[in-house]
Amino acid sequence: MSVKTFNLPDLGEGLPEAEIVSWLVAEGDIVKVDQPMLQVETAKAVVEVPAPYAGRIARIHAPDGTILPTHSPLVDIDTEPGASAGGTDPAATKPAAASAPATDKAAAAREDSGTVVGKMMSSDEVLADADIAGRGRRRKPGRIKAAPAVRALAKQLGVDLENCRPTGRHERLVADDVRAAASGRAPAARQAPKLKLPPGKPEPLRGPRRAMAQSMSAARDHIAQCTLFDDADIHYWAHGQDITARLLRAIAAGAHAEPALNGFFDGEAMARQLEERVDIAIAVDTPDGLIVPVIRDVGRKSAQELRADLNGIKQATRERSVKPEDMRDFTFTLSNFGMMAGRYATPVVVPPTIAILGAGGLRHDVVPVLGGIETHRRIPLSLTFDHRCATGGEACRFLAAIIDDLQKRD
Amino acid sequence: MPRITLIEAVTMALAWEMEHDDRVIVLGEDVGVNGGVFRATAGLQQRFGADRVMDTPLAESMISGMAVGMAAQGLRPVAEIQFMGFIYPTVDMMINHAGRLRNRTRGRMHVPMVLRAPFGGGIHAPEHHSESTEAIFAHMPGIRVVVPSSPRRAYGLLLAAIRDPDPVVFLEPKRIYRLQKQEVEDNGEALPLDTCYILREGDDVTIVTWGAMTFETMKAAEELDKEGISAEVIDLATISPMDLDTILESVEKTGRLVIVHEAARTCGVGAEVAAGVAEKGIWDLKAPIVRVTGYDTVMPLFRLEYEYLPSVARIIDGVKKTFED
Repeated sequence: MSVKTFNLPDLGEGLPEAEIVSWLVAEGDIVKVDQPMLQVETAKAVVEVPAPYAGRIARIHAPDGTILPTHSPLVDIDTEPGASAGGTDPAATKPAAASAPATDKAAAAREDSGTVVGKMMSSDEVLADADIAGRGRRRKPGRIKAAPAVRALAKQLGVDLENCRPTGRHERLVADDVRAAASGRAPAARQAPKLKLPPGKPEPLRGPRRAMAQSMSAARDHIAQCTLFDDADIHYWAHGQDITARLLRAIAAGAHAEPALNGFFDGEAMARQLEERVDIAIAVDTPDGLIVPVIRDVGRKSAQELRADLNGIKQATRERSVKPEDMRDFTFTLSNFGMMAGRYATPVVVPPTIAILGAGGLRHDVVPVLGGIETHRRIPLSLTFDHRCATGGEACRFLAAIIDDLQKRD
Repeated sequence: MPRITLIEAVTMALAWEMEHDDRVIVLGEDVGVNGGVFRATAGLQQRFGADRVMDTPLAESMISGMAVGMAAQGLRPVAEIQFMGFIYPTVDMMINHAGRLRNRTRGRMHVPMVLRAPFGGGIHAPEHHSESTEAIFAHMPGIRVVVPSSPRRAYGLLLAAIRDPDPVVFLEPKRIYRLQKQEVEDNGEALPLDTCYILREGDDVTIVTWGAMTFETMKAAEELDKEGISAEVIDLATISPMDLDTILESVEKTGRLVIVHEAARTCGVGAEVAAGVAEKGIWDLKAPIVRVTGYDTVMPLFRLEYEYLPSVARIIDGVKKTFED
C-alpha cells in the first residue's frame, strides 16, 4: 500500500480557505485520474476538485461542510490499492468530532470576511460626518484677494494684508499696495499705466495748452461734474442784439437769482466762497490753445460796455497781449463755441470755480406753439456744475434764470 | 433604520431600484448564484430571478458592451466588474460607445448604464486588485465618475447613478466596505450627483479627498483640531464632472488647500483640483497647494501597501506644510 496525501490546493488567488460542499466519492471508492472527487465552494464559485492520482480513497480528512484552510490535508489516496485488501482505517471513517467547533468558528469568520482575496477590515464603528451637499460658490465681499507672490511680499515686509488698500482689478491687492502700506504713506490711488508713444518726435506742451492740460486733469480728478442741457428761445429778440453780450448779461442774471454757482470751492478744505460780483472768463480759441481772458463785474455793465470789453479782448488775444492778471480770478466761465459747430457739450468746470456755461450755435428749430408749429431761433445751452458744492436744484434755478433773461426782447 | 455597512448600502440600493424599476438589470461575473465577489449582489438573483441578475462569462469587454447595448435600448443595466484591475477591457466600450453614443446619435440614443467596480488598496490583495485609476475614466468626456465614501452616500449616490440618463462609472472604495456602519433609511431617496459633500466644516485649511481616504482624512482633521488647526474636509464624491465651486468657496474661507488621494500622483484627479483652484482661486491662496497621494509606482504587494497609501501622519504633515513660512 502506498498512500499519498493530497492537500487542499489554492483554488483562487491567494484564497485562505475553502468550504467542502460535498464529497462525490466515499472512503474505499476507486478513483481515476481527473475524476471529480468533491465540490468545494470558494467565495467566487463552487468548483469540483478532480483526483490527482488513480487509486482508492483511503481517508477523507474534511467531511462535508468543513471550512478547510488552503494546503491542509484533504484526502489520502492509496495508489496501490491491490497491495492491501485490509479495508479502511477505522479511525478515518469517522469525521473528527473535535474539529466541529473549530469548523463553526471558521464558518463564522468566513461569513464576515466579505472578500475572496486579501483581508477585509470590519468594525462596528459608527460613521459620523457632516454630509453637507456642496452649496456652490457664494462669493463673500470684502475678503482679501492677493496673489501668493503679493502675500509673500507682505510677509517679507511685515505688512498685514488687512492694512492694505486694494487698488488692483476686482479689488485685488497688488504688490504696490503692500509696499505703500509698508512705507506708511497713504496708499496711492490706482495709477494709470505708463503710456508709451509709438516712435516719433513728441512735442512737449507749452503755454496755454500746458495750462489747459493741467487744469483739465485737476478738474477730472476732483470735480463731480454734472451737466444740464436746455434751449433759450430768442425768436422775439429785438433787431441788433449782441449775442455774447446777452449771454454775459444772462449769466449775471443767473448768479443774481441763484448765487450758489458763482464763486469758488475748495474740496480739500470743504469750503466754498460765493461771490456777489460776477467775473466771467471767456474761452477764446487760438492757435496756441485756449486763452481765457476775464470780463469783470459783468452785472454792472451795460450792453455797450460789455461790447467794448469784448472787443478789447478780441484785440488783445489777436496781439497776444492779454496780461496774466486779466486771466485770473474769474468766478464763472462762458464757452461760446457755437459759431463753429456743436450744439450741446459737456464743458469742464475750471477749478476752483463752480460752474461753466456752454453756448452752442444759434439755429432755427421747429417748436410747437399753441395752435401749431413755428420756426424759432434758439440758443442751445449746456451748464456744467460741480455737484460737490452745488445742488441740482440750484443749477436748475440758475439755468432757468439765464433762459429767462436770454428770452427777453432786449 | 438599519445600521449598515457601505457594501450593504450598495446591495440595499440595488434591491430598491430593482424592486421599483423593472428596467434595472444586474450583470457581471458571479453576481448571481454567488452574490458577487464582495457580496454586493447577495440575494438579488433569488429575489429577482436569473433574467435580471445575470451571471456572465469572464469577459469584461463583453459585460460592458452588453450594458451599453441594453442601456441604448431602454434598460438600466448595472454591470459589476470584480476589481479595478479587471476594468481595463471595458475602456474601449466606455470611451468609444458609452460616453459618446448620445453625441454620435445627435441625442437619439443615450446610455443610462452604471459600471460598478470596487477600487483602491488596503485589503492585502494582489497589486492589480488594489489600484485607484479613477483618473482614467475622469478623463473621458460623457462619463460621470462617482465615488461614495459612506454607507449613506453609497446608497443615495448609487440610486442617483442608476437613474442618471448617462453612463456612470461607480467606483466603490472596498477598503471601507465594512469598516464603519451608519444608519441608512431604505427610502429610495437619491443624493445629488455633481456636487461635493462637506464632511467637516473648518476655517484654516481645506482638505479635498474622496473614497477610502476620507477615513484617514477625517482622523487627521481630528488630530489637527487638537493642535488648533481647523480643517474643512470635502468629499469630492463626483470625480467628474467636478464641483469646483464648492471647493473654491471653501478656499476663499481658508486660503489653504490640501488634496489627498490614494492614486498615483502624476495626472491624478488631484492635479485637476489643483489646476482649477490655481485658475480661479489663486487670489485666495495663502500658501502653495499641497498634494498627499500614492506614489508613481506600481501598487506594492500587501506588506508595503500601507507605506503606499497616504497615512494620517502624512496628511497631517501635508497640512502643516501649508502653514510654513
